[in-house]
Amino acid sequence: MYAYDTFDHALVNARVAEFRDQVDRRMTGELTEEEFRPLRLMNGLYLQLHAYMLRVAIPYGTLSSVQMRKLAHVARRYDKGYGHFTTRQNIQYNWPKLSETPDILQELADVEMHAIQTSGNCIRNVTTDQFAGATADEVADPRPYAELIRQWSSFHPEFSFLPRKFKIAITGAQEDRAAVKWHDIGLVVKENKEGEIGFEVLAGGGMGRTPVIAKTMRDFLPVKDLLSYLEAMLRVYNEQGRRDNKYKARIKILVEAMGVEEYTRQVEEEWEKIRHIPIDVPDEEVARIKSFFAPPPLAVLSDEVAEVDDLAAKNFIFKSWLANNTGRHKVPGYVNATISLKPHGGIPGDASDEQMDLVADLADAFSQSEIRVSHEQNLILPHVARKDLPALWAKLDAAGLGTPNAGLLTDIIACPGLDYCSLANTRSIPIAQTITERFDDLKRLMDIGPLKIKISGCINSCGHHHAGHIGILGVDRKGTENYQLLLGGSGAEDASKAAILGPGFDEHGIVDAVEKVVAVYLGEREDGEEFLAAYRRLGPDVFKEAVYGSH
Amino acid sequence: MAKKVTGPQLILANRLDDGRAVFLTAAGEWSKQVADAAVANSDDELENLMSVAQAAEVANQVVSVTAVAADESGKALAPAHIKFAMQSRGPSVRADLGYQVSPNWEQ
Ligand code: HEM
Ligand code: SF4
Repeated sequence: MYAYDTFDHALVNARVAEFRDQVDRRMTGELTEEEFRPLRLMNGLYLQLHAYMLRVAIPYGTLSSVQMRKLAHVARRYDKGYGHFTTRQNIQYNWPKLSETPDILQELADVEMHAIQTSGNCIRNVTTDQFAGATADEVADPRPYAELIRQWSSFHPEFSFLPRKFKIAITGAQEDRAAVKWHDIGLVVKENKEGEIGFEVLAGGGMGRTPVIAKTMRDFLPVKDLLSYLEAMLRVYNEQGRRDNKYKARIKILVEAMGVEEYTRQVEEEWEKIRHIPIDVPDEEVARIKSFFAPPPLAVLSDEVAEVDDLAAKNFIFKSWLANNTGRHKVPGYVNATISLKPHGGIPGDASDEQMDLVADLADAFSQSEIRVSHEQNLILPHVARKDLPALWAKLDAAGLGTPNAGLLTDIIACPGLDYCSLANTRSIPIAQTITERFDDLKRLMDIGPLKIKISGCINSCGHHHAGHIGILGVDRKGTENYQLLLGGSGAEDASKAAILGPGFDEHGIVDAVEKVVAVYLGEREDGEEFLAAYRRLGPDVFKEAVYGSH
Repeated sequence: MAKKVTGPQLILANRLDDGRAVFLTAAGEWSKQVADAAVANSDDELENLMSVAQAAEVANQVVSVTAVAADESGKALAPAHIKFAMQSRGPSVRADLGYQVSPNWEQ
């Protein structure tokens, strides 16, 4: 893992001290709310419906067990005993007191964590594949590059006041688990014919009220040019992006308006001007950063473990967990294991302080003290020996963390919605709860297979509904909650925008509609055909017919 | 920030320190219970309540002062719009915690 140097420590500590002073001045009235609001947002502190909300960055979704224990401690000591892991691989606390946030931030700084650049029109937390460095299908671990980008973008003076927030995602694997095509900038690590590492560069993706899939600017950009190229991309956007209208200010609008060819031309022109000034870091620095992400010392083991096969043969739940929640590791005899934060009837992404402590203990016992957060709001133990799986699963299961549903219909992404969020039209969480209760039967879930449902409580799309195989969007219908149904989206390498099927529903109707859609799929699918493939083959009409009847 | 509303209205805000949703009472105090909220039935009444609320904002007791349409048709007084009704009730999830359990809950 990346470890702070003295400069990083000093910077984060100074920031906490500064914020403590600002909070004091707010509490005494020296600062008005108007003056204070941008300052608190710069430190990840929002005001929601019922309380403040603190968003803490988890850079590229990687946590140590020590950091996880601190997150548990903050939940217990300053909040109400739980935290919410988000699609941005961050954690949000729903009940901090304003006067206590400086203490929280100090505690986090002690374990090299902070809430800087988790809000505002700056470059946000870089997200990546939750299995980075721990998956067989990877060209290279993307996290060293994510860290390079983090260092370059942190407090970057030119890019602290962009036209709008800016999100970068990077993946090193063939299967895109980081939704790179839905980001302002997406990077895919590639190897060229000469064996050199570089990136496919995509730009202009985003959700919100105008969903756009990012377009490729370059098939291959060598590592040594990464930062200067990004700098040129940001510059052109910073100069030309619209500032007059918040809804048109994202880079996706600029790239759509000028065309990706023209945007690329301007970026390359700018890049020629700046690529010789030292923005890019020397090879030694890249090597130094890479050393923090060196693969853990795992002794090669056998993939054949009789105890695992025996348990799977007699326990269907474990068998399903093995199939859904574990994936192939680079090193033989190991897997990456997904801890589902989607218990049926539960709140997607929520974890209690006790659960966080347990995950930290299990990481120490079974996974080199390392933990990951996925954008699908689950936790991952990245380096688990197959032989340890029965013991690990038993402990998870006993703590309500063993739900074997990773990638299945009940592994739902849901934003906080109207239960917490002041921008919401509707609640999201209760819809997820009702759906997961309705589809509680594991045999049925396994039969349905991979199916991603994603729910947002408003068009800001924090719940990624545009990228859902089934997307649900909350809209305000004359002051009551109404839900639109969307089908056919994807956040993976085959990214596509989900399309609205028809008129919206109330909170019961939307769940019935999901059931009808699934029934059509089960009736129409071909051998081995997954939901998304079936939808793409069949088109919306059969689904429309089933959901709305014939008109 | 609230849209121009007509008809009966009440005023809600968030307490400065913990962000708790609170309602302005006829006595000019802030209650945690919407049932205590003063209802303005005319522009003048609303203006009076708003000036009390804004004074509390200036005095750094509350932030985000908002006048919202009140619904008096049910058994209990409530904001008419779902968003503000939710704000007055607390989250509809985690019924084991917070003011979902008791409206007088303190952080
Ligand atoms: C509860 C407080 C939250 C607030 C006030 C908030 C606000 C917003 C806003 C205003 C946007 C639209 C930005 C734009 O289109 O320019 C947005 C987008 C987004 N937010 Fe949130 N959000 C919140 C919580 C979350 C949570 C919990 C997550 C993760 C689960 C999240 C992840 C995202 C994502 C992924 C987007 C879409 C980015 C895109 O447009 O490409 N947000 N949020
Ligand atoms: S999608 Fe809307 S309702 Fe959901 S968290 Fe984002 S802003 Fe709030």
